[in-house]
Amino acid sequence: MTEVVTKQELDEAFAMFYGMAASLKDLASPPVEVADEERVAAAKRVFLKGIDANFATQLDACVHCGACAQACQFYLGTEDPKYTPVHKLDLMKRVYDRELSPLSWLKKFIVKDITADDLRAQQELVYDSCTMCGRCNLVCPAGINIADMVAMNRSALAAARLMPDELRFMQEGQEADGTIFGADEDLFRFRMDALQEKLGFEIPIDKPKADVLLVTTGLDIHLFQDATGGTIETLHHMGVDYTLRSDAYEGANFGLLSGHEGTKKKMAAKLANAAIEVGAKVVIVPECGHAFPALRWGAAEALGKPVDFDVMTVSEYFGKAVMDGRLKLEKDKESRVVALHDPCKVGRWGGVFEEPRAILKAIGWELHETESNRAYNFCCGGGAGNFLIERANPLKRAGYRVKMAEIEKTEAKTLVVSCGSCRMNFEVGKVNAGDTIPVESLAAIIAAHLPKTEGAKA
Amino acid sequence: MTLLDFARGPALQGAAFIFVVGMVWRALGLLLLHRNTPLSRNRDNHLARHGFRTVLSRFIPAPVFERRVSFQYVAGWIWHLGFFVVLLFFKIHVMFFQGLLGFGWPTLPNGVVVAVAGITLGVLLWLLGRRIVNPVLRYISTFNDYSSLVVTMLPFITGFLAFAHYGFAYETMLALHILSISLLLVWFPFSKLIHVITLLPSRYILGVKFWRRGVQA
Repeated sequence: MTEVVTKQELDEAFAMFYGMAASLKDLASPPVEVADEERVAAAKRVFLKGIDANFATQLDACVHCGACAQACQFYLGTEDPKYTPVHKLDLMKRVYDRELSPLSWLKKFIVKDITADDLRAQQELVYDSCTMCGRCNLVCPAGINIADMVAMNRSALAAARLMPDELRFMQEGQEADGTIFGADEDLFRFRMDALQEKLGFEIPIDKPKADVLLVTTGLDIHLFQDATGGTIETLHHMGVDYTLRSDAYEGANFGLLSGHEGTKKKMAAKLANAAIEVGAKVVIVPECGHAFPALRWGAAEALGKPVDFDVMTVSEYFGKAVMDGRLKLEKDKESRVVALHDPCKVGRWGGVFEEPRAILKAIGWELHETESNRAYNFCCGGGAGNFLIERANPLKRAGYRVKMAEIEKTEAKTLVVSCGSCRMNFEVGKVNAGDTIPVESLAAIIAAHLPKTEGAKA
Repeated sequence: MTLLDFARGPALQGAAFIFVVGMVWRALGLLLLHRNTPLSRNRDNHLARHGFRTVLSRFIPAPVFERRVSFQYVAGWIWHLGFFVVLLFFKIHVMFFQGLLGFGWPTLPNGVVVAVAGITLGVLLWLLGRRIVNPVLRYISTFNDYSSLVVTMLPFITGFLAFAHYGFAYETMLALHILSISLLLVWFPFSKLIHVITLLPSRYILGVKFWRRGVQA
C-alpha cells in the first residue's frame, strides 16, 4: 500500500476537522420563524402521508411490553426510561389515532392533539437519543419497525423546521452546494491530484463511460484520505474500469439524516443520474454508513422508477471480490487480533456481514466477534448524523461506552470499521474516555495487503 | 329478567356483536389504507417465506437478548396459553360451546384447569405489579395498558369465585363472570387487545422488510 497519509497528518487533520465540526452550530443561519400552527400542520402532513397500512398495523401491534428498551444503547447507557424506543412513536401514534385510525371517530375525543411544544420536545427523542440503528426492531416481540418510524418523525420535524441546528446547517449546505463540509469541486480535485501524486498513477475523473462509478464524501476528502486512497488503489490493482465524477462525487446525504425529504431525493437522484449517464453497472459508495442506504434503497425511490445499476459499499465490493477469488490479498506474517464494527446502515439495514469478514480472513487476522454482532450489533453511538449534534454529547458518550464495553471484552488490539462517521465517533469517544485502541479503515487495510504482483482482474 | 338472564342474553349477545363488528372494522380499516411499495431492487427474494419465518422466530427472543427479556417472553407465553387452556378445555366452558355450536370436544380435569387458571391469574397479577414498579413500564404505560390487564383478569377472578361458590350466590357470581367476559369482548376492538389481529402481521411486515435487504430479522 502506498501511504497516502501519515499517522501524524491524520491526527492533525482530525483535530482540525473536529474543531470545525464542533463549531457547526454557530455557523448555522438563524432558524426560520414559523407559526406554531404551521409547524404542527407540516408535521401532520408527513405523518399522514407516511403512515401506510404496514406502519398502521405495526402501531396497532404494540402492547407496551418495554422489551425495546433492553436493546437500545441509549436506554442501557443512561437507564432513563424516556429513551425507551417505542415511546418515541407516541407523537405519531396520537396523530394516527386521531386522524387515520379506524377508530379516529372516537379517538378524536379521547386523544390529545399534538402541539408545537410536543414537536420541540420530540427533537431530543428522535435526533439526540436515536441513531435509527434498528436494534430495537430485532427484540420487539411484535416485530415493530420502530427505527423507520423514528425516521418518519425526523421527516416530520424537518418539515416543521425543527431540525437540530447542526443538521440543518449540513442539510442546507448540501442542498446549496451538493456537498458537505465545504468539500467543493476545487477541493475534490486538489485532493485527487494529491492522491494521484502519492499513488503514482492517474485517477480517472469524468470518464464518459465506465463499469464502475466511484463516489467519495466530504468527510474522506477532508479527513479519511486513507480510506479513499485505499479504495482507489485497490480498484486500480484489480484493473477495474472505473471513474469518479467531478459533478457527482458526494455520497453523503444529509437530507436522509436530517429528515429533509427534498434534499434526500435530490442528492440520491443526482448520483443515480450520473451512474446512468456513465453506464455504470455498479456504484461504489465510500466508507460512509448512510451513503449506502441513501443510494442502495433510495436511488429508485428518488427517480420514481427501478434502476439498472447495483450499489455496493466498499467492504461489500471488495469482500465479494475476495470471496469470488477475483481479489487476492497477502496474509500478514503475524496474525493480529481484531474486532469488527458492523455499521448499522450497512449491516443490519443492508445485509453486508460476511464480506468484511472474508477480507479479514484473507489477510490472516484473527477476528474476535463482539457479543452483539452482525444484525445485532450495537451502533457506534453517534450514527445518523448525531456525531455532529453538540447537545447530544452526553448521550453519545453513553452509547459509546455500551459499544466499547463489548469491544473491550474481545481483547482485540485493533478495531476495524468501514464507515467514516462510525470511525469519527469512535475517535471522539476514545479521546473523551481515554481509550487507546487503534481504529482502522477496512479500505486502507485492504490496500495495505495487496500483493506486490498483479492481482486477478475484476 | 334476572341478572343471570341479562348476562346470558342481551349482554353477551350485544358484546359478541360489538366484538365481531369492531374487529372486522379495525381489520378492514387497516387493510384499506394505502400501502407504500419500494422500487429498489430486493437483495433477496422468497420474501413471503421469510416473512413467515419471522412470524415464528419472534416467539422466542434472539440469543443475544435472552438474558434481558426471556422472562417477559416466558410470562407472556404462560398466560396466553393458560388463557386458551381455561377457555377451551374447562368442562363447563365446553358445555357452553357445545350449546352454541352443536358439538363439543374433550376436556381437562377440573383440578388441572383450576391450577392453570391460578397460574395464569398469578402471572397476570405479577405483570400488573411489574408494570407499576418497573421504571420503563411505568413510564410508557397508559390507561389502555392498565385497563386491558384488569379487564383480562376479571373473567379469571369472577370465574374462580363462581367455581368456588364464594361471595355472592352462585347465580349472581355466574352472571358477573359472564358480564366480565362481555366486558372483555367489548374491550377488544377499542384497546391494545387488538394486537390479536395485528401482532403476527406486524412480524411478517418486518420480516419482509429486512429480508429484502438480505437480513434475517
